[in-house]
Amino acid sequence: MSEFGHILLTFLFPLTLFTAVTAFLAGRNHRESMYQAARNGTYAIWIVTTLAILALEALMLQGDFSNAFVYGNTNRALPGFYKIVALWAGHDGSLLFWTWIITSFSALVVYQNRNKNRELMPYVILTMIGTTVFFTALNLFIANPFDTWMQNINGVMTPVAAADGRGLNPLLQHPAMIIHPPILYIGYVGTVVPFAFAIAALLTGRLGSSWIKITRRWALVSWGFLSVGILLGGKWAYVELGWGGYWAWDPVENASLLPWLTSTAYVHSVMIQERKGMLKVWNMSLVIGTYLLAIFGTFLTRSGIVSSVHAFAESGIGPAFAAFIVFAIITSIGLIFWRRKELSSEEHFESLVSRESGFMFNNLLFVLATIAVLWGTLFPVISEAFTGEQITVGPPWFNTIMIPIGLALLLLTGVGPLLAWRRTSIESLRKSFGYPFIASVVVLLGMFFFGIRDGWALGSFTISFFVLWIIVAEFLQGARIRSKNAQENILTAMAMLTMKNTRRYGGYIIHIAVVVIFMGFTGAAFNTETRQEVATGGSFNFAGYTFMCIEKGHSTNDNFRTDFVDLQLFKDGRKVDDLRPAKRMYFASKQPTTEVAIYSTLREDIYVVTVGESEDGKMAILQIYRNPLVMWVWLGSLILIVGTILVLIPNYREKKRKPAAQQTHARHEVHA
Amino acid sequence: MSGKNKKIKFIVGIGIIITAVVALALSGFKKDYAYFKTVTEVYTMGSRAYDHPLKVKGDLVKGTVVKKGSELNFQIIESGQTMDVHYIGTDPIPDTFNNDMEAEVVVSGRLAADNVFKAERIQAKCASKYEADYSGNTQASL
Repeated sequence: MSEFGHILLTFLFPLTLFTAVTAFLAGRNHRESMYQAARNGTYAIWIVTTLAILALEALMLQGDFSNAFVYGNTNRALPGFYKIVALWAGHDGSLLFWTWIITSFSALVVYQNRNKNRELMPYVILTMIGTTVFFTALNLFIANPFDTWMQNINGVMTPVAAADGRGLNPLLQHPAMIIHPPILYIGYVGTVVPFAFAIAALLTGRLGSSWIKITRRWALVSWGFLSVGILLGGKWAYVELGWGGYWAWDPVENASLLPWLTSTAYVHSVMIQERKGMLKVWNMSLVIGTYLLAIFGTFLTRSGIVSSVHAFAESGIGPAFAAFIVFAIITSIGLIFWRRKELSSEEHFESLVSRESGFMFNNLLFVLATIAVLWGTLFPVISEAFTGEQITVGPPWFNTIMIPIGLALLLLTGVGPLLAWRRTSIESLRKSFGYPFIASVVVLLGMFFFGIRDGWALGSFTISFFVLWIIVAEFLQGARIRSKNAQENILTAMAMLTMKNTRRYGGYIIHIAVVVIFMGFTGAAFNTETRQEVATGGSFNFAGYTFMCIEKGHSTNDNFRTDFVDLQLFKDGRKVDDLRPAKRMYFASKQPTTEVAIYSTLREDIYVVTVGESEDGKMAILQIYRNPLVMWVWLGSLILIVGTILVLIPNYREKKRKPAAQQTHARHEVHA
Repeated sequence: MSGKNKKIKFIVGIGIIITAVVALALSGFKKDYAYFKTVTEVYTMGSRAYDHPLKVKGDLVKGTVVKKGSELNFQIIESGQTMDVHYIGTDPIPDTFNNDMEAEVVVSGRLAADNVFKAERIQAKCASKYEADYSGNTQASL
């Protein structure tokens, strides 16, 4: 099976090259036969890559430990389900998985446009398959998951058929980690589609808004997957790593945030281009930047260029990625420069207080945030290049910059959508923002009165309230008018309103999600923690809860040994939950992991970790965190998914009564 | 409003925002930075090593881990030079910390005058170990 995989990859590489060349010729000479070849090539690439994935999965399910990847990432006792997902747990496998997703998207785009966009498509194929050429080369020459497991025996590299594998990294044996990488990868790879159309538009000179309309859904889908991928990564870190938080500004986390920031900027600024034909170079740059940052993110995760807790793999793919990224940057900048005249704006900004300006400031902040995160992430590399010494910055640095930017963006979330195009009068400002502003000031004073003194938290909650008021008012106002006109009750009216303009109201729902997520973030300002020693039968109090230790014990299965502490959690004399924080020792990988126990409510999370035991082994040492409002982050994530799906579905059109004759005619057509 | 006037307003607005972000970046840097060094590099820094926050990378020396309750002392080694580390942080100690594990460790904190490193944070990277180990030993079979 390993040989079969090798043959597939060896065949795949020339196939991608061939397809890229035919696509190029099809675009240049408008030859139909070449175009056909490029399309068929794209389908064939997908089939071969799919077979390669299946071959690797078969190897893992069989437990063929003569294969290095299977040996390194699975073992016999591993549950079958985890054997399947080990594909993206290891480095070589996850790159093959990346390749598979991009080939799937390529095939999908080719199929979607089989009768459309004849001019653009050859170059779209060229760009997508060109990216695939690079990843296939990585799979074949540098990170080949079908390589044989070899050991150095007396100076000679000898194939070894091991009896059992080293097992899947225990930290990755968690449901969130199973879906987090594929979702994030879909988000990453999704950025390739708008990029491919942008490049095709530049090459063909068809620079109107058509390429933007074609890729609007792709950009949103990719954005949605990136958002969910990032949030799931946070969820995984929270429940699995055991340090009580969900975001640490780790390079790998930043790598996923970077393309999200530019992609968020893009889904906003694109509206200006659609409506007013402005910011063409800017949008082009955002699409290209998002693609580059997605590639860079994969590179950062996979090369270990910046040391990081989970930049697991430090392999030789760094220079290859660097070369590819530099090539893509130079080509893109060259193309934009070449087309700079065609990309000039059709209109200009008119007023500082207008919808356009709102979008402009939104974009400015997102791009500054991107630069800040990129700068902070790469600071060790930058400082080493200039001073010869690596200097790092950590979470406090990122927070210093990102909290104010985040709050400014949050404020725009509420203000922006209510600003009129071109210019907004003072009168309409007062009408839109008067009441919510006064109410927010009251809320601010109230929170201060009740003892909240953290400046950022006060700001964040106040802005959240302000934005929420504005969005809810928008819904209500629209629904009230509709219910009056259409004789519907207010809830039906609200639903119909949303379905008839999914883009606008779905967008509002995403904005509500953002507010909810920000409230969750803000809860972190009030985190408290304690460390307690407790024996079987003992108890202690923390944060208004009583913790009773029922048993400190251990258990064993095939995969790991567990040392656990059984706790009962009481609040106001009433038992609210059983908690079992534990440590596991995995036999195959000889790695220990922390199993966190969390009691989660809307108000706060009680997060319990075992950190060790006393010298005589009788007392368990527990670290307990009280993290207010964390659940709001996950709740907001769900709202965000709903909003994104809404934005993606087409507007519902109400049936208008047609003349009877026309209706019968229509029915005939259906039957024919 | 004349076109020129408008342009100036925009430039001023954008300028203020960019200046603010740069100012934040600089002030944040004063609060939070660290030199990232290996053990040997720390010793070549001379007296500067005591003046700055440091992040030091080295391998955990087997058998040196001493845990007393939540207190922790251990040594890290790199190119033959060792460093004593005393953990003073409040976060739970990483799972990889025990005398059986081979782990690469990054400690963050400051070097005290007695050359014991007072670590506020410990990061242990052990997962990279088994990945790097096996890919370094493989060759293509075709």
